[in-house]
Amino acid sequence: MPESEALHASHRLEYPYARSVGPVIGAFLTGLRDGRLLGVRGSGGSVIVPPTEYDPDTGDDTGEVVEVGPGGVVESWAWVPDPLPKHPSDRPFAWALIRLDGADTALLHAVDSGGPDRLATGDRVTVRFRPAAERIGSMADIEAFVPEGGAA
Amino acid sequence: MAERCAVIGVGQTHHKAKRDDVSIAGLVREAAKMALADADLTWTDIDAVVIGKAPDMFEGNMMPELYLAPALGAVGKPMFRVHTAGSVGGSTALVAAHLISSGIHKRVLTVAYEKQSDSDAMWALSVPQPFAAPLLAGAGGYFAPHIRAYMRRSGAPEYIGRMVAVKDRRNAMRNPYAHLHIADIDMKMVEESMMLWDPLRYLEACPSSDGAAAMVLSSEDALSGQYPPAWIHGMAMRSEPTMFAGRDQVNPRAGRDCSADVYAQAGITDPRRQIDVAEVYVPFSWYEPMWLENLGFCDLGDGWKLTESGATAFDGDIPWNTSGGVLSSNPIGASGMLRFLEVAMQVRGQAGEHQIGGARVALGQAYGGGSQFFSMWVVGSDKP
Repeated sequence: MPESEALHASHRLEYPYARSVGPVIGAFLTGLRDGRLLGVRGSGGSVIVPPTEYDPDTGDDTGEVVEVGPGGVVESWAWVPDPLPKHPSDRPFAWALIRLDGADTALLHAVDSGGPDRLATGDRVTVRFRPAAERIGSMADIEAFVPEGGAA
Repeated sequence: MAERCAVIGVGQTHHKAKRDDVSIAGLVREAAKMALADADLTWTDIDAVVIGKAPDMFEGNMMPELYLAPALGAVGKPMFRVHTAGSVGGSTALVAAHLISSGIHKRVLTVAYEKQSDSDAMWALSVPQPFAAPLLAGAGGYFAPHIRAYMRRSGAPEYIGRMVAVKDRRNAMRNPYAHLHIADIDMKMVEESMMLWDPLRYLEACPSSDGAAAMVLSSEDALSGQYPPAWIHGMAMRSEPTMFAGRDQVNPRAGRDCSADVYAQAGITDPRRQIDVAEVYVPFSWYEPMWLENLGFCDLGDGWKLTESGATAFDGDIPWNTSGGVLSSNPIGASGMLRFLEVAMQVRGQAGEHQIGGARVALGQAYGGGSQFFSMWVVGSDKP
Protein backbone atom coordinates (compact mmCIF):
# COMPACT_ATOMS: atom_id res chain seq x y z
CA MET A 1 0.00 0.00 0.00
CA PRO A 2 1.31 3.47 -0.81
CA GLU A 3 2.04 5.65 2.16
CA SER A 4 -0.57 8.35 2.55
CA GLU A 5 0.64 11.90 2.25
CA ALA A 6 -0.57 14.59 4.59
CA LEU A 7 -2.20 17.56 2.90
CA HIS A 8 -0.39 20.86 3.32
CA ALA A 9 -1.59 24.39 2.82
CA SER A 10 -0.06 27.70 3.72
CA HIS A 11 -2.04 29.78 6.19
CA ARG A 12 -1.10 33.36 6.93
CA LEU A 13 -3.08 35.06 9.67
CA GLU A 14 -2.51 38.77 9.85
CA TYR A 15 -4.50 41.82 10.86
CA PRO A 16 -3.65 44.97 12.77
CA TYR A 17 -4.22 45.79 16.44
CA ALA A 18 -4.31 49.13 18.22
CA ARG A 19 -3.62 50.09 21.83
CA SER A 20 -5.24 52.73 23.99
CA VAL A 21 -2.57 53.28 26.61
CA GLY A 22 -4.67 55.36 29.01
CA PRO A 23 -3.76 58.45 31.01
CA VAL A 24 -0.86 57.06 33.07
CA ILE A 25 1.15 54.93 30.63
CA GLY A 26 0.24 57.57 28.06
CA ALA A 27 1.93 60.25 30.18
CA PHE A 28 5.00 58.02 30.57
CA LEU A 29 5.31 57.44 26.81
CA THR A 30 4.74 61.12 26.07
CA GLY A 31 7.50 61.87 28.59
CA LEU A 32 9.90 59.58 26.73
CA ARG A 33 9.14 61.41 23.51
CA ASP A 34 9.97 64.67 25.31
CA GLY A 35 13.17 63.19 26.78
CA ARG A 36 11.85 62.89 30.37
CA LEU A 37 11.49 59.87 32.64
CA LEU A 38 8.23 59.81 34.61
CA GLY A 39 6.94 57.70 37.46
CA VAL A 40 3.80 57.76 39.54
CA ARG A 41 3.20 57.82 43.27
CA GLY A 42 1.64 54.65 44.67
CA SER A 43 -0.94 54.54 47.44
CA GLY A 44 1.80 53.98 50.05
CA GLY A 45 3.87 56.93 48.80
CA SER A 46 6.42 54.89 46.85
CA VAL A 47 7.27 55.91 43.27
CA ILE A 48 6.53 53.31 40.59
CA VAL A 49 8.51 53.34 37.30
CA PRO A 50 7.30 52.55 34.67
CA PRO A 51 4.08 54.00 36.07
CA THR A 52 0.85 52.03 36.43
CA GLU A 53 -2.74 53.22 36.82
CA TYR A 54 -3.00 51.25 40.04
CA ASP A 55 -0.77 50.35 42.94
CA PRO A 56 0.09 46.72 42.18
CA ASP A 57 0.16 45.86 45.89
CA THR A 58 -3.17 47.36 46.93
CA GLY A 59 -5.18 47.81 43.72
CA ASP A 60 -5.77 51.46 44.67
CA ASP A 61 -5.48 54.27 42.16
CA THR A 62 -2.02 55.79 41.87
CA GLY A 63 -1.51 59.50 42.41
CA GLU A 64 0.70 62.29 41.06
CA VAL A 65 3.15 61.86 38.20
CA VAL A 66 6.74 62.59 39.28
CA GLU A 67 9.92 63.02 37.25
CA VAL A 68 12.71 60.52 38.00
CA GLY A 69 16.27 59.87 36.80
CA PRO A 70 18.05 60.56 34.53
CA GLY A 71 20.57 58.54 36.57
CA GLY A 72 20.01 55.35 38.50
CA VAL A 73 21.52 52.23 40.03
CA VAL A 74 21.88 48.81 38.37
CA GLU A 75 20.12 46.29 40.60
CA SER A 76 20.70 43.21 38.47
CA TRP A 77 21.89 42.43 34.95
CA ALA A 78 22.56 39.74 32.34
CA TRP A 79 25.11 40.12 29.55
CA VAL A 80 24.03 39.50 25.94
CA PRO A 81 27.21 38.60 24.03
CA ASP A 82 25.47 37.90 20.69
CA PRO A 83 22.54 40.27 20.15
CA LEU A 84 19.65 39.10 17.99
CA PRO A 85 18.17 41.27 15.21
CA LYS A 86 15.29 42.41 17.42
CA HIS A 87 17.50 43.43 20.34
CA PRO A 88 17.90 47.15 21.04
CA SER A 89 21.62 47.10 20.22
CA ASP A 90 23.65 45.45 17.49
CA ARG A 91 26.69 45.15 19.73
CA PRO A 92 26.97 43.23 23.00
CA PHE A 93 24.97 44.83 25.84
CA ALA A 94 23.37 44.00 29.20
CA TRP A 95 19.71 43.63 30.05
CA ALA A 96 19.48 45.33 33.41
CA LEU A 97 17.03 46.27 36.12
CA ILE A 98 17.69 49.92 36.82
CA ARG A 99 16.30 51.78 39.83
CA LEU A 100 16.14 55.38 38.69
CA ASP A 101 16.89 58.19 41.15
CA GLY A 102 13.63 59.01 42.92
CA ALA A 103 12.03 55.66 42.08
CA ASP A 104 11.24 52.71 44.35
CA THR A 105 10.91 50.11 41.59
CA ALA A 106 13.31 49.02 38.84
CA LEU A 107 12.92 49.53 35.11
CA LEU A 108 14.13 46.91 32.62
CA HIS A 109 16.29 48.28 29.83
CA ALA A 110 19.59 47.87 28.00
CA VAL A 111 22.95 49.02 29.36
CA ASP A 112 25.72 49.78 26.89
CA SER A 113 28.82 49.40 29.06
CA GLY A 114 31.30 48.16 26.47
CA GLY A 115 31.81 44.79 28.12
CA PRO A 116 30.69 42.59 31.00
CA ASP A 117 33.88 43.49 32.87
CA ARG A 118 32.76 47.12 32.85
CA LEU A 119 29.45 46.56 34.62
CA ALA A 120 28.65 45.55 38.19
CA THR A 121 25.53 45.43 40.31
CA GLY A 122 25.36 48.71 42.20
CA ASP A 123 26.95 50.72 39.37
CA ARG A 124 25.46 54.08 38.52
CA VAL A 125 24.13 54.55 34.98
CA THR A 126 22.38 57.35 33.14
CA VAL A 127 19.88 57.46 30.30
CA ARG A 128 20.88 57.95 26.65
CA PHE A 129 17.88 59.03 24.59
CA ARG A 130 17.66 58.86 20.83
CA PRO A 131 17.79 62.26 19.10
CA ALA A 132 14.57 64.24 19.65
CA ALA A 133 13.57 64.05 15.99
CA GLU A 134 13.58 60.23 16.13
CA ARG A 135 11.54 59.84 19.33
CA ILE A 136 7.95 58.68 18.91
CA GLY A 137 6.73 57.93 22.46
CA SER A 138 8.08 54.38 22.81
CA MET A 139 10.40 52.44 25.14
CA ALA A 140 12.83 52.42 22.21
CA ASP A 141 13.11 56.21 22.57
CA ILE A 142 15.65 55.24 25.24
CA GLU A 143 18.58 53.97 23.20
CA ALA A 144 20.27 52.51 26.26
CA PHE A 145 21.59 53.39 29.69
CA VAL A 146 25.31 54.06 29.92
CA PRO A 147 27.72 54.10 32.86
CA GLU A 148 27.69 57.46 34.59
CA GLY A 149 30.78 59.44 33.61
CA GLY A 150 30.82 57.81 30.18
CA ALA A 151 33.05 54.79 30.93
CA ALA A 152 31.87 52.99 27.78
CA MET B 1 -27.20 25.02 45.35
CA ALA B 2 -25.56 24.33 48.66
CA GLU B 3 -25.01 27.91 49.87
CA ARG B 4 -27.21 30.83 48.88
CA CYS B 5 -25.53 33.41 46.67
CA ALA B 6 -26.54 36.98 45.87
CA VAL B 7 -25.45 39.91 43.75
CA ILE B 8 -24.58 42.77 46.11
CA GLY B 9 -22.77 45.15 43.77
CA VAL B 10 -22.92 46.04 40.10
CA GLY B 11 -20.84 48.29 37.88
CA GLN B 12 -20.47 49.03 34.21
CA THR B 13 -18.63 51.46 32.00
CA HIS B 14 -20.14 53.88 29.57
CA HIS B 15 -19.99 51.74 26.44
CA LYS B 16 -18.67 53.48 23.35
CA ALA B 17 -17.17 52.75 19.95
CA LYS B 18 -13.78 53.85 21.22
CA ARG B 19 -12.83 54.40 24.84
CA ASP B 20 -9.45 55.88 23.98
CA ASP B 21 -9.41 57.65 27.35
CA VAL B 22 -8.62 54.37 29.15
CA SER B 23 -6.34 51.38 28.79
CA ILE B 24 -7.78 47.86 29.10
CA ALA B 25 -6.76 47.90 32.77
CA GLY B 26 -8.45 51.28 33.21
CA LEU B 27 -11.59 49.98 31.51
CA VAL B 28 -12.00 46.93 33.76
CA ARG B 29 -11.18 49.00 36.84
CA GLU B 30 -13.89 51.50 35.98
CA ALA B 31 -16.55 48.76 36.19
CA ALA B 32 -14.94 46.94 39.12
CA LYS B 33 -14.60 50.05 41.30
CA MET B 34 -18.24 50.93 40.64
CA ALA B 35 -19.33 47.42 41.70
CA LEU B 36 -17.22 47.62 44.86
CA ALA B 37 -18.66 51.04 45.71
CA ASP B 38 -22.20 49.72 45.14
CA ALA B 39 -21.46 46.92 47.60
CA ASP B 40 -19.77 49.31 50.08
CA LEU B 41 -16.58 47.25 49.85
CA THR B 42 -12.93 47.74 48.91
CA TRP B 43 -10.42 45.51 47.10
CA THR B 44 -9.27 43.97 50.37
CA ASP B 45 -12.78 42.62 51.12
CA ILE B 46 -12.69 40.39 48.04
CA ASP B 47 -11.66 36.71 48.32
CA ALA B 48 -11.23 35.85 44.63
CA VAL B 49 -11.60 37.36 41.16
CA VAL B 50 -13.16 35.68 38.12
CA ILE B 51 -12.63 37.39 34.78
CA GLY B 52 -13.94 36.69 31.30
CA LYS B 53 -13.58 38.00 27.80
CA ALA B 54 -14.03 36.77 24.25
CA PRO B 55 -11.09 35.20 22.34
CA ASP B 56 -7.61 36.58 23.14
CA MET B 57 -7.12 37.02 19.40
CA PHE B 58 -9.58 39.93 19.43
CA GLU B 59 -7.15 42.33 21.12
CA GLY B 60 -4.04 40.23 20.54
CA ASN B 61 -3.48 40.10 24.29
CA MET B 62 -2.67 36.52 25.30
CA MET B 63 -3.97 35.46 28.73
CA PRO B 64 -4.77 39.04 29.75
CA GLU B 65 -5.93 37.83 33.17
CA LEU B 66 -2.26 37.51 34.15
CA TYR B 67 -1.40 41.17 33.69
CA LEU B 68 -4.81 42.34 34.92
CA ALA B 69 -4.45 40.61 38.31
CA PRO B 70 -2.83 43.62 40.02
CA ALA B 71 -5.27 45.97 38.27
CA LEU B 72 -8.13 44.08 39.97
CA GLY B 73 -6.63 43.84 43.44
CA ALA B 74 -6.06 40.11 42.90
CA VAL B 75 -2.41 39.86 43.93
CA GLY B 76 -2.13 36.91 46.30
CA LYS B 77 -5.72 35.84 45.66
CA PRO B 78 -7.25 33.14 43.47
CA MET B 79 -7.98 34.47 39.99
CA PHE B 80 -9.76 32.54 37.25
CA ARG B 81 -10.30 33.19 33.57
CA VAL B 82 -13.42 31.92 31.79
CA HIS B 83 -13.79 31.63 28.04
CA THR B 84 -17.01 30.63 26.26
CA ALA B 85 -17.04 33.03 23.28
CA GLY B 86 -19.91 35.58 23.31
CA SER B 87 -21.64 33.92 26.25
CA VAL B 88 -18.53 34.36 28.37
CA GLY B 89 -19.84 37.25 30.45
CA GLY B 90 -22.66 35.01 31.65
CA SER B 91 -20.48 31.95 32.21
CA THR B 92 -17.97 34.11 34.10
CA ALA B 93 -20.67 35.25 36.52
CA LEU B 94 -21.75 31.63 36.98
CA VAL B 95 -18.21 30.43 37.75
CA ALA B 96 -17.95 33.24 40.30
CA ALA B 97 -21.31 32.23 41.80
CA HIS B 98 -20.16 28.61 42.02
CA LEU B 99 -17.27 29.73 44.23
CA ILE B 100 -19.88 31.11 46.66
CA SER B 101 -22.50 28.37 46.38
CA SER B 102 -19.82 25.72 46.95
CA GLY B 103 -18.93 27.44 50.21
CA ILE B 104 -15.33 28.13 49.14
CA HIS B 105 -15.51 31.94 49.25
CA LYS B 106 -17.65 34.66 50.83
CA ARG B 107 -17.18 37.52 48.37
CA VAL B 108 -16.12 37.19 44.76
CA LEU B 109 -15.53 39.98 42.25
CA THR B 110 -16.40 39.05 38.69
CA VAL B 111 -15.46 41.17 35.69
CA ALA B 112 -15.86 40.90 31.93
CA TYR B 113 -14.75 43.21 29.14
CA GLU B 114 -13.95 43.79 25.53
CA LYS B 115 -12.03 46.62 23.96
CA GLN B 116 -13.13 46.25 20.39
CA SER B 117 -11.34 49.44 19.33
CA ASP B 118 -8.03 47.73 20.16
CA SER B 119 -9.04 44.85 17.96
CA ASP B 120 -10.71 43.80 14.79
CA ALA B 121 -13.30 41.31 15.97
CA MET B 122 -15.12 41.06 12.69
CA TRP B 123 -12.01 39.81 10.88
CA ALA B 124 -10.90 37.77 13.88
CA LEU B 125 -14.22 35.94 13.44
CA SER B 126 -13.66 35.53 9.72
CA VAL B 127 -10.28 33.80 9.59
CA PRO B 128 -10.12 31.58 6.52
CA GLN B 129 -8.98 28.07 7.40
CA PRO B 130 -7.22 25.76 4.95
CA PHE B 131 -9.52 23.09 3.46
CA ALA B 132 -12.61 24.66 5.05
CA ALA B 133 -15.47 26.68 3.67
CA PRO B 134 -15.15 30.40 4.46
CA LEU B 135 -17.43 31.59 7.27
CA LEU B 136 -18.03 34.89 5.47
CA ALA B 137 -17.67 38.26 7.10
CA GLY B 138 -18.25 38.41 10.83
CA ALA B 139 -20.93 36.91 13.06
CA GLY B 140 -23.77 38.35 10.97
CA GLY B 141 -22.63 36.33 7.97
CA TYR B 142 -22.87 33.20 10.05
CA PHE B 143 -26.27 33.91 11.61
CA ALA B 144 -28.13 35.36 8.62
CA PRO B 145 -28.90 31.96 7.01
CA HIS B 146 -30.25 30.70 10.34
CA ILE B 147 -32.51 33.73 10.52
CA ARG B 148 -33.77 33.00 7.02
CA ALA B 149 -34.43 29.43 8.12
CA TYR B 150 -36.43 30.74 11.10
CA MET B 151 -38.47 33.05 8.87
CA ARG B 152 -39.26 30.20 6.51
CA ARG B 153 -40.24 27.82 9.32
CA SER B 154 -42.39 30.27 11.23
CA GLY B 155 -43.79 32.33 8.38
CA ALA B 156 -42.70 35.48 10.21
CA PRO B 157 -43.10 38.68 8.18
CA GLU B 158 -39.98 40.69 7.29
CA TYR B 159 -40.83 43.65 9.52
CA ILE B 160 -40.49 41.70 12.80
CA GLY B 161 -36.71 42.18 12.82
CA ARG B 162 -37.14 45.90 12.34
CA MET B 163 -39.61 46.04 15.26
CA VAL B 164 -37.00 44.52 17.59
CA ALA B 165 -34.34 46.92 16.33
CA VAL B 166 -36.58 49.91 17.05
CA LYS B 167 -37.80 48.63 20.43
CA ASP B 168 -34.32 47.91 21.83
CA ARG B 169 -32.87 51.22 20.60
CA ARG B 170 -35.81 53.10 22.15
CA ASN B 171 -35.17 51.25 25.40
CA ALA B 172 -31.52 52.30 25.21
CA MET B 173 -32.66 55.94 25.43
CA ARG B 174 -33.51 55.11 29.08
CA ASN B 175 -30.03 53.72 29.77
CA PRO B 176 -27.22 56.27 30.22
CA TYR B 177 -24.54 53.55 29.83
CA ALA B 178 -25.78 52.32 26.43
CA HIS B 179 -23.51 52.81 23.43
CA LEU B 180 -26.21 53.73 20.91
CA HIS B 181 -28.64 56.54 21.64
CA ILE B 182 -30.59 57.03 18.42
CA ALA B 183 -33.36 59.36 19.51
CA ASP B 184 -35.33 59.39 16.27
CA ILE B 185 -35.12 55.70 15.39
CA ASP B 186 -38.18 54.27 13.65
CA MET B 187 -39.16 51.46 11.29
CA LYS B 188 -38.41 53.59 8.25
CA MET B 189 -34.87 54.43 9.41
CA VAL B 190 -34.13 50.73 9.97
CA GLU B 191 -35.64 49.76 6.63
CA GLU B 192 -33.59 52.38 4.81
CA SER B 193 -30.31 51.36 6.45
CA MET B 194 -27.80 49.38 4.40
CA MET B 195 -28.34 45.65 3.87
CA LEU B 196 -25.38 43.87 5.49
CA TRP B 197 -26.24 40.18 5.56
CA ASP B 198 -29.64 39.44 4.04
CA PRO B 199 -32.10 39.80 5.77
CA LEU B 200 -30.13 41.82 8.35
CA ARG B 201 -29.79 45.51 7.78
CA TYR B 202 -27.20 47.76 9.43
CA LEU B 203 -29.60 48.94 12.16
CA GLU B 204 -30.65 45.34 12.90
CA ALA B 205 -27.09 44.51 14.00
CA CYS B 206 -25.25 45.25 17.25
CA PRO B 207 -22.55 47.92 17.37
CA SER B 208 -18.85 47.29 18.13
CA SER B 209 -18.26 48.61 21.63
CA ASP B 210 -15.57 49.12 24.22
CA GLY B 211 -16.88 48.33 27.66
CA ALA B 212 -16.72 46.35 30.87
CA ALA B 213 -19.13 44.97 33.44
CA ALA B 214 -18.51 43.85 37.02
CA MET B 215 -20.44 42.35 39.90
CA VAL B 216 -19.70 41.53 43.51
CA LEU B 217 -21.26 38.23 44.57
CA SER B 218 -21.71 37.33 48.18
CA SER B 219 -22.69 34.50 50.46
CA GLU B 220 -25.67 34.96 52.75
CA ASP B 221 -23.52 35.80 55.79
CA ALA B 222 -21.47 38.49 54.01
CA LEU B 223 -24.15 40.77 52.54
CA SER B 224 -23.46 44.49 52.23
CA GLY B 225 -24.38 47.45 50.08
CA GLN B 226 -27.14 50.00 49.79
CA TYR B 227 -29.54 48.04 47.64
CA PRO B 228 -31.21 44.77 48.59
CA PRO B 229 -29.42 41.66 47.27
CA ALA B 230 -30.43 39.93 44.04
CA TRP B 231 -30.66 36.28 45.06
CA ILE B 232 -29.66 33.65 42.55
CA HIS B 233 -32.55 31.19 42.14
CA GLY B 234 -31.00 29.09 39.41
CA MET B 235 -27.96 28.96 37.14
CA ALA B 236 -27.02 26.72 34.25
CA MET B 237 -24.65 26.37 31.31
CA ARG B 238 -24.87 24.12 28.27
CA SER B 239 -22.90 23.78 25.05
CA GLU B 240 -22.94 21.80 21.84
CA PRO B 241 -20.64 21.57 18.79
CA THR B 242 -20.93 24.21 16.07
CA MET B 243 -21.76 21.65 13.42
CA PHE B 244 -23.09 18.13 13.52
CA ALA B 245 -25.55 16.19 11.44
CA GLY B 246 -29.11 16.97 12.41
CA ARG B 247 -28.21 20.01 14.49
CA ASP B 248 -31.04 22.50 14.85
CA GLN B 249 -29.23 25.80 14.32
CA VAL B 250 -32.42 27.83 14.73
CA ASN B 251 -33.53 26.29 18.01
CA PRO B 252 -30.40 24.71 19.52
CA ARG B 253 -30.87 21.90 21.97
CA ALA B 254 -28.20 23.31 24.29
CA GLY B 255 -30.35 26.41 24.79
CA ARG B 256 -33.50 24.39 25.46
CA ASP B 257 -31.69 22.12 27.91
CA CYS B 258 -30.09 25.09 29.65
CA SER B 259 -33.41 26.87 30.19
CA ALA B 260 -35.10 23.66 31.35
CA ASP B 261 -32.36 23.27 33.97
CA VAL B 262 -32.45 26.85 35.20
CA TYR B 263 -36.27 26.89 35.33
CA ALA B 264 -36.32 23.63 37.31
CA GLN B 265 -33.94 25.12 39.87
CA ALA B 266 -35.96 28.33 40.12
CA GLY B 267 -39.34 26.61 40.21
CA ILE B 268 -40.47 28.18 36.94
CA THR B 269 -43.05 26.19 34.98
CA ASP B 270 -44.56 29.05 32.97
CA PRO B 271 -41.79 31.50 32.02
CA ARG B 272 -44.09 34.04 30.42
CA ARG B 273 -46.18 34.42 33.59
CA GLN B 274 -43.54 33.86 36.24
CA ILE B 275 -40.67 35.94 34.85
CA ASP B 276 -41.20 39.69 35.26
CA VAL B 277 -38.36 40.93 33.06
CA ALA B 278 -35.62 39.35 30.95
CA GLU B 279 -32.31 40.39 29.44
CA VAL B 280 -31.54 38.08 26.56
CA TYR B 281 -28.56 38.12 24.20
CA VAL B 282 -30.02 39.58 20.98
CA PRO B 283 -27.10 40.84 18.86
CA PHE B 284 -29.16 40.64 15.67
CA SER B 285 -32.80 41.66 15.74
CA TRP B 286 -34.28 38.29 14.77
CA TYR B 287 -32.77 36.56 17.76
CA GLU B 288 -35.55 37.96 19.94
CA PRO B 289 -38.33 35.87 18.38
CA MET B 290 -35.95 32.93 18.00
CA TRP B 291 -34.96 32.98 21.68
CA LEU B 292 -38.56 33.58 22.81
CA GLU B 293 -39.22 30.10 21.43
CA ASN B 294 -35.94 28.53 22.55
CA LEU B 295 -36.53 29.84 26.10
CA GLY B 296 -40.08 28.52 26.21
CA PHE B 297 -41.89 31.86 26.45
CA CYS B 298 -44.26 30.58 23.74
CA ASP B 299 -44.87 27.65 21.44
CA LEU B 300 -42.60 26.96 18.49
CA GLY B 301 -43.35 29.31 15.63
CA ASP B 302 -45.06 31.89 17.86
CA GLY B 303 -42.06 33.96 18.93
CA TRP B 304 -42.56 36.60 16.26
CA LYS B 305 -46.21 36.95 17.26
CA LEU B 306 -45.18 37.88 20.82
CA THR B 307 -42.78 40.49 19.45
CA GLU B 308 -45.43 41.81 17.07
CA SER B 309 -48.02 42.04 19.86
CA GLY B 310 -45.74 44.28 21.92
CA ALA B 311 -45.46 41.71 24.73
CA THR B 312 -41.69 42.21 24.90
CA ALA B 313 -41.86 46.02 24.78
CA PHE B 314 -41.11 48.18 27.83
CA ASP B 315 -44.83 48.30 28.69
CA GLY B 316 -45.53 44.72 27.61
CA ASP B 317 -46.21 41.81 29.96
CA ILE B 318 -42.71 40.30 29.46
CA PRO B 319 -40.34 43.22 28.82
CA TRP B 320 -37.15 41.99 27.13
CA ASN B 321 -33.94 44.04 27.11
CA THR B 322 -35.21 47.21 28.75
CA SER B 323 -31.54 48.30 28.93
CA GLY B 324 -31.37 48.39 25.15
CA GLY B 325 -29.65 45.02 25.09
CA VAL B 326 -26.80 43.84 22.90
CA LEU B 327 -28.35 45.69 19.95
CA SER B 328 -27.46 48.93 21.76
CA SER B 329 -24.10 48.00 23.38
CA ASN B 330 -21.82 45.14 22.44
CA PRO B 331 -18.52 44.98 24.31
CA ILE B 332 -18.52 41.27 23.36
CA GLY B 333 -16.89 39.72 26.42
CA ALA B 334 -18.97 41.91 28.72
CA SER B 335 -22.25 41.63 26.80
CA GLY B 336 -23.31 38.40 28.51
CA MET B 337 -22.45 39.74 31.94
CA LEU B 338 -24.45 42.88 31.20
CA ARG B 339 -27.52 40.67 30.68
CA PHE B 340 -26.94 39.01 34.06
CA LEU B 341 -26.12 42.35 35.72
CA GLU B 342 -29.12 44.16 34.29
CA VAL B 343 -31.59 41.61 35.66
CA ALA B 344 -29.88 41.84 39.05
CA MET B 345 -30.41 45.61 38.87
CA GLN B 346 -34.09 45.02 38.07
CA VAL B 347 -34.83 42.86 41.10
CA ARG B 348 -32.73 45.19 43.30
CA GLY B 349 -34.80 48.15 42.04
CA GLN B 350 -31.77 50.12 40.88
CA ALA B 351 -32.33 50.22 37.10
CA GLY B 352 -33.37 53.87 37.04
CA GLU B 353 -35.33 54.93 33.98
CA HIS B 354 -35.39 51.42 32.54
CA GLN B 355 -36.62 49.87 35.79
CA ILE B 356 -39.71 47.67 35.48
CA GLY B 357 -41.86 48.47 38.50
CA GLY B 358 -42.26 45.57 40.91
CA ALA B 359 -39.79 43.26 39.14
CA ARG B 360 -39.20 40.32 41.49
CA VAL B 361 -38.06 37.46 39.24
CA ALA B 362 -35.81 38.00 36.23
CA LEU B 363 -34.00 35.91 33.63
CA GLY B 364 -30.55 36.70 32.24
CA GLN B 365 -29.39 34.74 29.19
CA ALA B 366 -26.22 34.81 27.11
CA TYR B 367 -25.23 32.81 24.06
CA GLY B 368 -22.03 32.57 22.12
CA GLY B 369 -20.10 30.96 19.30
CA GLY B 370 -22.35 29.60 16.59
CA SER B 371 -25.37 29.54 18.96
CA GLN B 372 -23.58 26.76 20.80
CA PHE B 373 -22.67 28.11 24.26
CA PHE B 374 -25.49 29.06 26.62
CA SER B 375 -25.45 30.47 30.11
CA MET B 376 -28.44 31.60 32.15
CA TRP B 377 -29.44 32.65 35.59
CA VAL B 378 -32.69 33.49 37.29
CA VAL B 379 -32.44 36.08 40.05
CA GLY B 380 -35.11 37.21 42.47
CA SER B 381 -35.74 39.73 45.19
CA ASP B 382 -36.89 36.95 47.53
CA LYS B 383 -34.46 34.62 49.21
CA PRO B 384 -34.69 31.20 47.48
